[in-house]
Amino acid sequence: MSVEVDHPPNVSLGEGTVINGDLAFKRFQSRVEPVALSVGSGCTMDGVHFDLGAEARVSVGDHCYFTNAVLLAELEIRIGSCVVIGWNATIADTDFHPIAPAERIADAIACSPASDGRPRPVVVRRPVVIEDDVWVGPATTILKGVTIGAGAFIEPGTVVSADVPPRARVIGNPAQVVGEV
Amino acid sequence: MSTKLPWDWYDGTIPANVAIHDEAYVETSFSFHLYRSEADVGVRYARGAHTYLGTMFDVGPRGRVRLGEYALVHGARIICDDRVEIGDHAMLSWNVVVMDAYRVPRDAARRRELVRRLPEATPRALAPDGNARAVIIESNAWIGFDACVLPGVTVGRGSIVGARSVVRDDVPPYTVVTGNPARVIRTLEPPA
Repeated sequence: MSVEVDHPPNVSLGEGTVINGDLAFKRFQSRVEPVALSVGSGCTMDGVHFDLGAEARVSVGDHCYFTNAVLLAELEIRIGSCVVIGWNATIADTDFHPIAPAERIADAIACSPASDGRPRPVVVRRPVVIEDDVWVGPATTILKGVTIGAGAFIEPGTVVSADVPPRARVIGNPAQVVGEV
Repeated sequence: MSTKLPWDWYDGTIPANVAIHDEAYVETSFSFHLYRSEADVGVRYARGAHTYLGTMFDVGPRGRVRLGEYALVHGARIICDDRVEIGDHAMLSWNVVVMDAYRVPRDAARRRELVRRLPEATPRALAPDGNARAVIIESNAWIGFDACVLPGVTVGRGSIVGARSVVRDDVPPYTVVTGNPARVIRTLEPPA
């Protein structure tokens, strides 16, 4: 049915875990050794993008189910067990570019192949933590530095830029707690 | 009998219980790789209906999807355990999510039991949760990119859902809604 893909050497997969989709490792650039990405056992990673920068680490627990999630890591994304992430959700541990306009000009130049490897300005990176048993609905966005507490329920389309307490149900942009599950 | 599309880049087939009008268009059978409807007709394409790359029919065993005449679906995820109706001339943009079911309970302990059993499922997809509520996109409606239309919602005839909106409540006919949660921002003149 679906094709399992080859993975880079610094990726560790548990027993019964399936990763498929041609784009899984197209932007995997992490040089972290020995393991940059670890995915536990019994996981289903269907069409997930593991977009890891040179220094990034991502860990995923056991029995997780992600469909077409996009994981953008420059530092660290830590995901617990039995986490479900819906279609086209994006999780990023950085904004990728500086806030200050002058620094953004410098960054645009440094990012270009025309700039001969000039160093980029420092960009904020803060780990994202998603604890056990969290449900992240389709089309959600989870931004840098966020911790989502165990068992939380993130409704479809929510934009999360602040911590979510355990078992909270959140909705909207920006995310608001509307109850407990 | 399942059939192959002569122009398909994906090495798959159109399932036997998908009914496609002679003048409808399916870009790729990849749209059916999560399809597991056992209904007599799980997806029906009316005359001129057209679906393109990225459209995904994530249809459960009892799910039924109908695409009306000249309905355009350009890369939407249709999660259906009961019924999803896309009306005549309706348009769904890229990365839209239309779901008639969440497939997961809000209770974390029950959800954990479901996902622990997932490796035993073929294909690996969540089973219907029995709480599906039909979604109706009426004719001539237009759903902007990245929008979500949630279980039980009817989007009225001729209405527009703005990009990235999340629609939790019914949208009246000839109305524009935007935002998360979506709210009415204006109304439209019906055709004469």
